[in-house]
Amino acid sequence: MKAHDKGKGNATASKPANAAETKTDSVPGGQENSGRRKTSKYFPAEPKDEQENVELPVKRKVQNESSEKAPPSKKPSKVDVDDDFVLPKSKNSVDVTPSKKLKSGSGKGVVQKAVDIDESDEDDVKDLKSPVKSGGKIRGGRGASKGPAGGRGRGGDIDESDEEDIKDLESPVKSGGRGRGGRGASTGSASGRGRGGGRGGFMNFGERKDPPHKGEKEVPEGAPDCLTGLTFVISGTLDSLEREEAEDLIKRYGGRVTGSVSKKTNYLLCDEDIGGRKSSKAKELGFVFLSCLKILVCILLFLFLTVALNFTEDGLFDMIPPLKGQSNKSAVTVAPSLPRKSPQTDGTTLTKSPSPSVSSAKKRGQPVQHSSLPWTEKYRPKVPNEITGNQSLVFKQLHDWLTQWNKQFLAGSKGKGKKQNDAGAKKAVLLSGTPGIGKTTSAKLVSQMLGFQTIEVMLVIVVERLTPVWKQCKSIKELVSNEALGVNMDRSKHPKTVLIMDEVDGMSAGDRGGIADLIASIKISKIPIICICNDRYSQKLKSLVKLLYRKPTKQQMAKRLMQVANAEGLQVNEIALEELAERVNGDMRMALNQLQYMSLSMSVINYNDIKQRLLSSSKDEDISPFTAVDKLFGFNGGKLRMDERIDLSMSDPDLVPLLVQENYINYRPSSIGKDDSGIKRMNSIARAAESIGDGDIINVQIRRYRQWQLSQTSALSSCIIPAALLHGQRETLEQIGGWLGKNSTMSKNYRLLEDFHVHFLASRESCSGRETLRLEYLPILLKRLTNPLRDMPKRWVEWGRGCVQHSLQLSIDEAVEQVLEFMNAYSISQEDFDTIMELSKFQVTLLNMHRLSKSNGRHSTSCQSSTDKAYKEGSKTRIIRAADLVTLPGMKKAPKKRIAAILEPSDDVLGEENGDELPENDENTSDTEDLGIEVQMELKGTGNSSAKKAPSGRAKGGGRAASAEKKGGRGSGAGAKRKR
Amino acid sequence: MLWVDKYRPKTLAQVIVHEDIAQNLTKLVTEQDCPHLLFYGPSGSGKKTLIMALLRQIFGPSAEKVKVENRNWKIDAGSRTIDLELTTLASTNHVELSPSDVGFQDRYIVQEIIKEMAKNRPIDTKGKKGFKVLVLNEVDKLSREAQHSLRRTMEKYSASCRLILCCNSSSKVTEAIRSRCLNIRINAPSAEQIVKVLEFIGKKEGLQLPSGFAARIAEKSNRNLRRAILSFETCRVQQYPFTSNQAIPPMDWEEYISEIATDIMKEQSPKRFLPSALKYLIVLLFQVRGKVYELLINCIPPEIVLKRLLHELLKKLDAELKHEVCHWAAYYEHRMRLGQKAIFHIEAFVAKFMSIYKAFLIATFG
Repeated sequence: MKAHDKGKGNATASKPANAAETKTDSVPGGQENSGRRKTSKYFPAEPKDEQENVELPVKRKVQNESSEKAPPSKKPSKVDVDDDFVLPKSKNSVDVTPSKKLKSGSGKGVVQKAVDIDESDEDDVKDLKSPVKSGGKIRGGRGASKGPAGGRGRGGDIDESDEEDIKDLESPVKSGGRGRGGRGASTGSASGRGRGGGRGGFMNFGERKDPPHKGEKEVPEGAPDCLTGLTFVISGTLDSLEREEAEDLIKRYGGRVTGSVSKKTNYLLCDEDIGGRKSSKAKELGFVFLSCLKILVCILLFLFLTVALNFTEDGLFDMIPPLKGQSNKSAVTVAPSLPRKSPQTDGTTLTKSPSPSVSSAKKRGQPVQHSSLPWTEKYRPKVPNEITGNQSLVFKQLHDWLTQWNKQFLAGSKGKGKKQNDAGAKKAVLLSGTPGIGKTTSAKLVSQMLGFQTIEVMLVIVVERLTPVWKQCKSIKELVSNEALGVNMDRSKHPKTVLIMDEVDGMSAGDRGGIADLIASIKISKIPIICICNDRYSQKLKSLVKLLYRKPTKQQMAKRLMQVANAEGLQVNEIALEELAERVNGDMRMALNQLQYMSLSMSVINYNDIKQRLLSSSKDEDISPFTAVDKLFGFNGGKLRMDERIDLSMSDPDLVPLLVQENYINYRPSSIGKDDSGIKRMNSIARAAESIGDGDIINVQIRRYRQWQLSQTSALSSCIIPAALLHGQRETLEQIGGWLGKNSTMSKNYRLLEDFHVHFLASRESCSGRETLRLEYLPILLKRLTNPLRDMPKRWVEWGRGCVQHSLQLSIDEAVEQVLEFMNAYSISQEDFDTIMELSKFQVTLLNMHRLSKSNGRHSTSCQSSTDKAYKEGSKTRIIRAADLVTLPGMKKAPKKRIAAILEPSDDVLGEENGDELPENDENTSDTEDLGIEVQMELKGTGNSSAKKAPSGRAKGGGRAASAEKKGGRGSGAGAKRKR
Repeated sequence: MLWVDKYRPKTLAQVIVHEDIAQNLTKLVTEQDCPHLLFYGPSGSGKKTLIMALLRQIFGPSAEKVKVENRNWKIDAGSRTIDLELTTLASTNHVELSPSDVGFQDRYIVQEIIKEMAKNRPIDTKGKKGFKVLVLNEVDKLSREAQHSLRRTMEKYSASCRLILCCNSSSKVTEAIRSRCLNIRINAPSAEQIVKVLEFIGKKEGLQLPSGFAARIAEKSNRNLRRAILSFETCRVQQYPFTSNQAIPPMDWEEYISEIATDIMKEQSPKRFLPSALKYLIVLLFQVRGKVYELLINCIPPEIVLKRLLHELLKKLDAELKHEVCHWAAYYEHRMRLGQKAIFHIEAFVAKFMSIYKAFLIATFG
């Protein structure tokens, strides 16, 4: 890489004039940062541009829109440099460039719309390393554009809020856009599933084609930050990159990817047929399109649009200059410029923040002096505005609730007030959310703000002390009532009081009465109580008003962290902070702690530091098996470290392999590249399937012979290898139940079969094994049992046309008799009868039976019911051969819940089915029970076709809802869970 | 009563199909003490019938007075107790059981229960036969451990107890056990023998058999006598009088498996509207999985599913591929026995097959 870099440096120096012409600076000129510099060096820019670059720092506040249009940097350099390229493949693109240049040249003159670049982070030197890897990174994002919910929901894209129109997003708004951080946004709260899976739920797969030249081009490796400050919009199918790969590539170099075209957009990255909504939007915005050029035969063109210029994928590659020796230098130069810059970026990017961080820094002037306090305390929000995230919750709900409390309850008890809204109607409120996101803080703050006196109780401490909780509760009760007295008696003295109970859910660990007692005391309480817990789904806490704290978005956190950093005189760039925010998984407290720790050793913190630091100490999250599978198979699955993979698959060593097995076919592997015929994928699937089989075999060794040392091997073969082979974009093609469900059905059926077998053996007529019974006897048994009932009436009807009624009756009796005789001969009970029916019901035969039974359903209905009656009558005289066939008089079986099924309206299929084999005898409980069974079975059978569609639909719904709400996360995760 | 059971020979003298074996057995038990026996042969060849007849030969009619019991045992295995439930079929002189029903805990059955049974010498008033007989079914499905412990039981208690083992494949019974038994191979009856039996039944039932009909049933039955008789009766239930070209209904599950096979094979001409062959393949794989589940749920043993599937595939396959596909089927079947979750392995086989087949198609037709 180094050598490569050096060469580059030379090459750039000798850039041809034409290159200079064609490309104005590749970058929208506004960037003064050195990172920019570096790139601009690489792309020889016109002297003018250089000048501008120099000047810019001064006027950085100004929107540098006018300064220079940035026609896409059609890397001119390439031509010269190609010798230097270490990677031979890049030659392709080299060939291409000339024509491109021409093209861009034409574009040059075009007026550029506002290019306001918020390129705060030039010093983000983060990945000096290979961008080549980018392949496959962001897979998940891909389909989202199709989904209606797509865009906005996805990432906390606050910094884009000033885009004019966010509504018609066709494609995912990649929130963060800054380098690495951007990726994090969506994963932030939703974790892996969100990306691939959630999206997967609602997109129509296959609508976007694979890139035609997938994997054929070499992705160039460039200097870091060469795209910093540029905003891209991707549209359509690219030539060789998957959309996610392109996004990743851009972000890696510091660019932003947004979902829709706006004033800020610099480049529209798209393929040839640029006719979609985004491009028309671009036109609306006043951008002028450059006509698309076809560059080379072999490479499909992408049009690079610099807000008005069309930009191809190759152009994108071109924009990423190779690493040079200079990059170091530039990085150094960048640093100084940073501090000045960042305040500005804050102001511009984070629209939500009313006050620029400068002011906040001022505000915090005092705390800086006494730095002995941990930062978490020091910077604990002092006013509600400072709370990161959950603003509406804190302000509106909690605040309202508290203000109204007195009115509601105290006044209410005097008969004045009526309870109006739900939230106000409860005496206590429960704040829930993951640790470190400011629940306690906000509770205190709001109370303070309203002038309440707070009493804080930590129940966990009590538990630790082994004091029974109920005792504590007693004291709470006292507290509550005492305070209540206080409130009533001398309000002037203790104006208002609020009780804050922290960690309520910890209480359940102690003794059982605790929560009940707490609730009781809430009922009698005369003061507001705020309970705080992490797990809101705890059953015992049901009766409280619940407010869910969400994790703040990483931008929100970064903003706040930036304030803190400024106050402490730390130099941190925003990307680094966003990365930090992402890594700690929304835990503000932890983020601050980390920051403080790092501040001890360094005063300038950049992306890499944070990455390094958190690599080892990243916060453990609770991982559900679903999330784990999704991470393993996700777009990023290939980049996880081995220990991470093992951790994921061991998060639930029983369930994860099953989920893997259930879903592995669903992923479109990103590692195999172009694959028209499907042969590669099929091979991968075969290998994965075999590996899953290995896992099963190993699992037997583990369980049966207790070879627990093999459990890692098991994880490897049952999860990791399949994931390594198949990780990629998720597509939900078909859902069938998981192994667990099927297995339990299977064992149920085996049990039934065994019962039947016992009876069968007990008849002493046969001594066949269970399998033989199932495989060979069952069909004929079925025929012998049902055919008489079905055929006889028909025959008789045909035969005795004149006296239908009479002969029918006769025939039924005869048929019933015949069947009963047969049943007796083999000791078949009614339950066995049902077993036989159920076991021999494949979908095929089911159809046949319907057809057959349709014609004579009516008759056989009565047949069957009379059969059952007869069976019951005969039960006294029957020879009892097996113990469980003895019917005890007077002991009716209790009707089971399945009876509920009987209440469902019976469609005609059901009716027929009943007709075939069921009694319609409602008085008899055991009959109704049978019906229940049949109904279930029937629904299962016929529901199949519709069931196939259902899952996708459901997932669709789930995905959409979730994405709107939770950044496109969780989507099918939720769906999948629901399914189970 | 079904014909299979109605016309099942009750004594060795009545046996039609394996007359020679029956005669030998008769001599064996009348003239000298009976050794341990191992009956093996394909299903439907008459092992069980012979065993029952043999028992009757040894113990007289009392052997037929069996009672079925679903018995529970509590076994103390070191630190824990294991509850086992097993169905036994017992007369005064013999006990029949299938230890493999309890899965991988079968060794406890062998170690504890069988030992227990073998130890107790029957109190024989008439002093006729001083031993009881244990009939163990499906010995080939016993785990290796169970077979090892069985070995010892066979030697130690041979004075008071004879074992009659019954299985399909002797190759899955360990060498040690085989050498302790008199191995009796029961061949599948030939088609002629089956026809003979069918005609015999037809005569007894007073049916008119069109010429060639019995032969067709015999052919369809795959030399499985029981199956032949059952499908004979099925035909009778379905349609009588017979016509010589009457359809012989296949077993429901066989039909279903052949459907799966057709699905897998017809992949190259996707009827369904799907954007690409690839997607079709994947969907197909899911469908196959669903169907295999369906089979397993309906208590079709996975080995049978796999075997039958292979059979169906081979019917349609190009000769070139047959060898390879057979190899993989055997490979996955072996793994299936090692493992626990059969569906994984069947699916792996299907995936393997699809990838082989796909490659073959591409190589052949481009």
